[in-house]
Order: sequence, then C-alpha cells, then structure tokens
Amino acid sequence: MLMEVKNQIKISLLSIKYAIMREMLNKISFITNIVFMIINNSTFIIQWVVLFSIKNDIGGYSLNEVLLLWGLASSSFGVSRFFFKKAFDLSTTINNGKLDSYLVQPKNVLLSVITTDVEPSALGDMLYGYIVLLIYGITFKLFLLFTLFSICSGLIITAITIIFNSLSFWFGKSDLLAEKMDGFMTSFATYPGGIFKGVTKWILLTIIPVGIANYMPVDVMRNFNLSYLLIILGFTIFIVTTAFIVFYKGLKRYSSSNLMIAKI
Amino acid sequence: MTIIKADHLYKTFRIKEKEKGFKGSLKAIFKPKYKTIKAVNNISFEVEKGEIIAFIGPNGAGKSTTIKMLTGILYPSKGEVSVLDINPIKNRKKLAYQIGTVFGQKEQLWTHLTPYDNFKFFGAIYDINEKVVEKKINEFRELFELDEFINVPVRNLSLGQRIRCEIVASLIHNPKVLFLDEPTIGLDPVVKENIRTLIKRLNKEYKTTIFLTSHDVGDIEKLCKRVIIINSGKVVLDDTMENLKYHYLNKKIVEVKMKEMVNLDNEKGITILKDKGYNLKIEVDTKKRSVADAIKLLNPDNILDINISNTPLEEIISDIYKKEAKK
Repeated sequence: MLMEVKNQIKISLLSIKYAIMREMLNKISFITNIVFMIINNSTFIIQWVVLFSIKNDIGGYSLNEVLLLWGLASSSFGVSRFFFKKAFDLSTTINNGKLDSYLVQPKNVLLSVITTDVEPSALGDMLYGYIVLLIYGITFKLFLLFTLFSICSGLIITAITIIFNSLSFWFGKSDLLAEKMDGFMTSFATYPGGIFKGVTKWILLTIIPVGIANYMPVDVMRNFNLSYLLIILGFTIFIVTTAFIVFYKGLKRYSSSNLMIAKI
Repeated sequence: MTIIKADHLYKTFRIKEKEKGFKGSLKAIFKPKYKTIKAVNNISFEVEKGEIIAFIGPNGAGKSTTIKMLTGILYPSKGEVSVLDINPIKNRKKLAYQIGTVFGQKEQLWTHLTPYDNFKFFGAIYDINEKVVEKKINEFRELFELDEFINVPVRNLSLGQRIRCEIVASLIHNPKVLFLDEPTIGLDPVVKENIRTLIKRLNKEYKTTIFLTSHDVGDIEKLCKRVIIINSGKVVLDDTMENLKYHYLNKKIVEVKMKEMVNLDNEKGITILKDKGYNLKIEVDTKKRSVADAIKLLNPDNILDINISNTPLEEIISDIYKKEAKK
C-alpha cells in the first residue's frame, strides 16, 4: 500500500516535471507569463489601499491582513492551477473520451489526468503570495503555516472543481457549473471574512467553503487557533476524499469515444 | 490455456434524441427523449494463449467497445469478462500490469519528449527498475529499428515511426496480452508491412497473445490464424482463417487474354466481371461449374495468357457483412 502511494506520487511528480519541460520549450512566454501575473495581482491591491485610506478597519481586517488574505488567495489559486491544471478541464476530458489512455495504466486515473499539464502563470500567483508574505512580515512559523494553508486551500479548490466537473459523467456538460463554482471560490477569497454575516457567512462556510479555505487560515495566522487548524485539515481531507469518491462513482458511467486524439 | 474470456457480454448506451431545428432543441430541454443503443449485444468468445486473433467488423459494429471492456476502460452493462483470469473492472490496475494497448487513433506518448524519455516514463508507470527499463529499451531499439529517431521529439516523427514507438511503449512492461486497435491506420504499405512483421516477431519470440482489430484485410490475412467477425454488436463468425477461406472461397477469378472473342453470356456459374473484347475477366462459381469446365468453354487453344486467383479476402468479409446486414 505504502509502496503504491510512493509510486503514484513519483509518477505524478514526473508528469508535472514533463509538463513544466513542455512549457519551458517557449522560454520567453514561460517567463513573461509568470512576471505579468505578479504585476497583474499587484494592481488589485491598489483598490484596497484606497479603501483603507478612508476607513481603518474593514470587516475586522487591517490593510496588512487584507494583504495576507490576498497573498493566501493568490498562492492557493497558484497551487491548484499549477499542479492540477487539468482538473479545471476535467469535464471536457470526460466528454471527449480522453480518459482511455489513463485507464489502461496501472495508476490512479484521477491523479494521472490532473497532473498532465501545468499553468505557467500560476507560478506567478504562487510567488506573489510569498512576496506579500514578506511585506506582511515573515517569520519561520508564519512561513510554515502559510505554505501549509496554501496547499490545503489549493487542494480544496481543486477538489471542488473535480466534484463539479465530474458531474459530467451524469449530466454531460458540467463545465459551466464548475467554472461558476470556481469563480465564487476565487472572488470571495479576496474579501475580508468579517464583512459577511448571517446566511452569506453560513454559505461561505458550507456550500462555497471559502471560509474554511481562506478566512480561517488567515485567522490562524493572525492568532494561532488549534481548533481552527484541525477544522481546516479535517475539511481538506474530507473534500479531497469526496472528490475521489464522486470521480470514481462517475467513472463507472464513462462512455469513452472514438475521436482522433493526440496527447499534447 | 484460455487467456481472454467474454461471456454473454452486453454494453448499452443511452443517447439523447433531438428533433430537427430550434424547436427540436427547445423540446429536448423540457421533454428529453432517449434512445438505447446496444453497442455490444450478447457476445461470447475465448482466446487461447499465444493466439493472434483478428476481431473485425464494419464501423459501429462494437469492436472498440468490446476491446474497451476487455481492457477495463468501459464497464459492461451485463455479462462476464476476464483477461488472464482477472476481472478488468474489479482489478483494473492489476490487469494493466499484464496487458499492453495500442489505439491507432489515440496517442499515449508525450509529443514534446523523445521516444527514449517516453519509454522511461512508461517504465516508471509500470514500476520497473530503471536498469531493467534501459535493458528493455536496448532490446527493442534493435528489434524495432529505433536508433535513427530514438532521441528526436515524438512530434517530429513520421506516423509510422510514432506507431512503432507507441507499440514499444506498450511493450515496456512485458505484457502477456497486447490489444491493438487499428494499429496500421493511416500508414503507407511499406510501413504497414514493417509493423506486421514486428507484430509477428513479437508473437513468435515473446509468445505474446495478440488481439487485433483492423479494417485492413492485409493485417488480418498476414497476421491472424483465427478471425472473429462482429456486426451490430453480435458475433457473426468465429472461425480459423483457413476455414473462412475454404468455406467462402467457392468462387475463382479467371482473367484471360484470347486470340478470338468468346461469348459467355448466360453460361451457368459464370459471371462476367470485365469484357474488353480479347481481354476477359470472369468469376466462376465452383459449386455450379468447375474451373476446368470454364476454361474448356474458352477453348484452351484460344488462350494466350491466363491468371486464376481466389476472391480477395476483402470481398469475402464484405459479403459476410452484407449478408448479416440483410438478416
């Protein structure tokens, strides 16, 4: 079992390495994608600087803490898009019958599929997160927590997109639904959690779990809270497991296709 | 020893039906209609160890669907299937270590990598030690004559070279059964012949059981000793190639060049295929008239040149398809 997990991780990393090699074939595009993503993310902060010049406290967050929230949102977005890019395209993969070549390999189909491509600009998102962390005031403990939460939050985003994209096994096309869900996760992740109250707050802790993926981690980084940390870790395990279950349940309904397909 | 067993296998697909035009599209949203298609309809067969079997049929007959059920890609709707005594659905990963697959229409290789890097990657997929992979690559390098392009990115290779690499990638883990789904599609005759020779050698040297689907009669005729023909999801013929030819080759094609013209109209058992005066091409139904008798009609002294051949296998298979379609 342990050996199987080790081999699976080895293959997924090898797959990511080859995907990076493919992107690096176009050196200029690879570098500019990363640099421009960092610049693009920086521009969003300006609106917050303007807002905080009017008001000192928004939803219980100071400018510095909004920066931290942005950093985490950007970094976790980067983790999901860089390592698991194909998860966001899973619906098309299913509908076009492109799972065949993974199904005849003795490896986990879902992991093999989602790690076959990388998004270079997402590397810019990840780097941007750490630049923001430097501005916020980095400590070793904060660095470790930030990295852990970037991974957890990245996994939560990926798992949610897998669940919604996997609905394609039942309904044919679910890419739009998955895109919308992904959009909600990304846009809510950049607002201070404190501004949402009542039903909205409840929704953000359950249906669109941005509260667990972003607000709680920021709270832990501001004031360490063990129970919050356990909730985040527990939820990550739960949602990732659910994604695997939904995908594999759907896989039984996979109908393949005879399209002419090249792995590019 | 039975290697592949399909027992009363069924696969149905539910397909949405839509009436024509915009109105039809609107109707389909509120009141969708579905149609059930039986892609595979009660198929049973067995394949023995070391066999090269041709699994053929017209487009949409259910060949690829069957292959996909045998390799664990698709779940059967009903029936049992086992390959090397492994249930492909329950033990997909276990089976994957024992079989190789080549889909002529789908690429499994990374196109920006060289064949060498691809083979290493496939070695890792099958958890093979790097030294063993290296040894295996060297072995296939010679057998498949890969030296010329083993370090060239796959996207720069010709189709024939790519297919060769696809086959090598599928053999890196020493599979006991190789599933080839139209491996020679789109290849020129020379490359086709090379691929056939390689498949034959593979079967001879490694005793690999080969399960082949192809529309190319040359593949079937030159490689397979047994043929299963399916049509509309059903097995319509499961026999040896010898029997197929023996039972269906009751027609001979006679081409003659003559000194004087001969009229063969309305002669029993003779069909004129081509009549260009002194050059004649006829088909003799040997059940109704012997070839010798047909030659007598032409008068041997009148014949300058003669060629007698069997009906091409392509026509035989096409006839079987047509007969089944009429039923």
